[in-house]
Amino acid sequence: MKSQQPLFHVIKREDSRPAQQLLAYVAAVVLALAVGAVLLAVQGVEPLTFYRQMITMGIPGSRYPWRAVENFIKLFVPLLIVSLALSLAFKMRFWNIGGEGQFIMGAFWAGVAGMLLGESLPQPVMVLAMALCGALGGGVYGVFVAALKVKWGTNETLLTLMLNYVALYFLQYFAETKAGWNFFLDPQSARPKFAKFPDNAQMITIPIGPFNLNLSLIVALVLCALIFGYLNYTKRGYEIAVVGDSPNTARYAGMKVGKIVIRTIFLSAALIGMAGALHVSSAGVMSASPTNDVGWTGIVVAWLAKLNTLGILLASVLITVLQFGCQTASSSYPSIDANFANLLQGVILFLVLAADFFTRFKLVLRSRKEAAR
Amino acid sequence: MKKILALALAAAMSLSLAACGGNNNGGNSAASNPPAASNPSNSSTDPGKEENKPAIRVGAIYITSQNDVAGYTFQHHNGITTAMRNLGLDPADLIVVDNVPDNDDTAVANAIDTVVNQGADIVFGISFGYINAMNDKAEDYSDVIFSHGTGYMANDTNFNNYFGRIYQARYLTGIAAGMKSLELGNNSIGYVAAYNTDYAETCSGINAFALGVQSANPDAVVHVNVINAWGDEALERQAAQALINTYNCCVISQHCDSAQPQLVAAENNVFGCGYNSDMTEQAPTAHLTAAIWHWDVYYQTAIQAAIDCNGDASKFVENMSGNAYYAGLAEGFVDASPLNESIAAPNTKAVMDAVRDLMISGQWDVFSGQKLSYVIKEDGAVEVHTEPADLVDNQGNVIVAAGGPSVDDGVIKGSMNYNVAGVQEG
Repeated sequence: MKSQQPLFHVIKREDSRPAQQLLAYVAAVVLALAVGAVLLAVQGVEPLTFYRQMITMGIPGSRYPWRAVENFIKLFVPLLIVSLALSLAFKMRFWNIGGEGQFIMGAFWAGVAGMLLGESLPQPVMVLAMALCGALGGGVYGVFVAALKVKWGTNETLLTLMLNYVALYFLQYFAETKAGWNFFLDPQSARPKFAKFPDNAQMITIPIGPFNLNLSLIVALVLCALIFGYLNYTKRGYEIAVVGDSPNTARYAGMKVGKIVIRTIFLSAALIGMAGALHVSSAGVMSASPTNDVGWTGIVVAWLAKLNTLGILLASVLITVLQFGCQTASSSYPSIDANFANLLQGVILFLVLAADFFTRFKLVLRSRKEAAR
Repeated sequence: MKKILALALAAAMSLSLAACGGNNNGGNSAASNPPAASNPSNSSTDPGKEENKPAIRVGAIYITSQNDVAGYTFQHHNGITTAMRNLGLDPADLIVVDNVPDNDDTAVANAIDTVVNQGADIVFGISFGYINAMNDKAEDYSDVIFSHGTGYMANDTNFNNYFGRIYQARYLTGIAAGMKSLELGNNSIGYVAAYNTDYAETCSGINAFALGVQSANPDAVVHVNVINAWGDEALERQAAQALINTYNCCVISQHCDSAQPQLVAAENNVFGCGYNSDMTEQAPTAHLTAAIWHWDVYYQTAIQAAIDCNGDASKFVENMSGNAYYAGLAEGFVDASPLNESIAAPNTKAVMDAVRDLMISGQWDVFSGQKLSYVIKEDGAVEVHTEPADLVDNQGNVIVAAGGPSVDDGVIKGSMNYNVAGVQEG
């Protein structure tokens, strides 16, 4: 009896070139937009108008264009920082899917600092303190999993995933428990409701005319440059790459793999926690669900960019335009709700990932000859 | 290379398909425009249009989808679009950001900015959790009107809140439940509640319903089963079934989002009183009457007041004669849905109508030191008797002494946190 052959094989392409890949990406986006256009047309919406509004995010001709830009920054900064931070872990093949939890913990500890010290410290010190508390909170939450992995070889994917929900419900407990000790809540409200942070715990903004430049954007861009340098030009960055390629090689070369893992995951989770801190400080108030799913979207961004720092910058801009633009564009159409925006994002991501797959691999159908062999 | 060509070809093909689809556009959306609309053309989809500008642009922030077919957002969306149609505005001009979680302040603030940026002159936010963002934005945009459902924050110019005396409607449904239990000779009535004394909104509903029940059947006990969620179909179903199994309840009332408790009542051959929308459609063999909202009553008043501002948003609160709208039966904002007379106890409708008239007249309200009782004459006419009686909570404390005035303030300001006598939780 001949052995059973699968219907097709997945074979890695030898000849995939960057230009070809880029072309495939563009084609995938065009195809996704075309699918979206058909769906829009079916619902009686002019696709080109919709897409124009989506890409411009409704800014031209709007009443307060600078507000839209400010909001764009508020969505963009957390996504950029989280994606960057995740790329550090992923480069080392440490599957940190706990971005949500680390973000929440960062937001939580920043909130603790903001609520308790906000009245007594000046604004620059306070914002810095919140960022540090957030980084520490997120970092400890992440490094806990790294330590377990190093010590006992536990599965980091499962642990980081489950700790997301622990963090979520931890924060929700504070959001919903009205009690004298709960300094997060507004004592005036009969229903549990987060109190606003004191003025000094609000993110610093730099006024440029009517526009207020959120300081966190500058922080994020500086971080982007620093991480680019860290990964490409430092010994530690090199160590991350080696451990990612092969922990045994790293060990053979005399690197302390455990230490590198712990250090890198602390850095990754701390950056995510800091993103959470910057985010709640920009919002000016705690929220029971503050993440806007950046812990998940960041994974997609990091992979789309192939963990390349500049690619992450580009991909997070595009994803934010997509998210924010869809919301704006759909607001004026009765038939288009937020679910459509999610659908369109899903189609785009799916096709881009498919294009990515097919430029790197090809499917070879089982040939008759092969089957007969 | 051939494969990329094929891919591009496929893309080009679907693009040309899209172009064809685009041409159908006018015909499709014209159908959704009501004839009364001031803008019968499809101009609403073109943000660049300036001529034929509507009197006012209305915006809304929803917690779930605007395309829902039942539930809380659906009721509000229906109310807003009905009000717009009545005022000669085109509902297609409504600017909506939906699926906005009420536990993420950045998302809410962002949604409000989007709606304002798209040109809204008045913004309705329907979920309690929008409160911080609504309050902030009302300060930021003094030229836009903000109106927050179920909230308590407001200012003296462009920001109000709105809710209603749904407890009045619940008292009426309580009468239907009480009369049914009297007819069946079963004093056990169940109530599936989202929360109880955590929120004035929920415990006032339970209390009003229980008082309505007792006015018809003084021996009846209302058993409350709390699910700790505003809506969860599985929990609502379990809670209703547990009430029937444990206490042999003959009527199931509810304060939760779905019609599941009514369906469970139907399955068990008992009866029920729904909430939010008339649930006779879902459970024709069980559902007596529901406490319902007519949100369009508020939305029409508010949008008219906004139009009357003539561009000066700061006059809104003055036009609404106050910054907290709290209407009830008298304004037609709340009511009991039409009674399912084929299964209700005899004369129920006459009693409910008489009590409804009494509440509308303003001579009596639910949480007062006056107790109602009914005498039904031979010819079916109903006499409503009021007699002074203490309003007592289920711990034995007197809330209102006999003959005292109504404490509906406790509902409006959110301080009610007790159950009246005859209510048992658990």
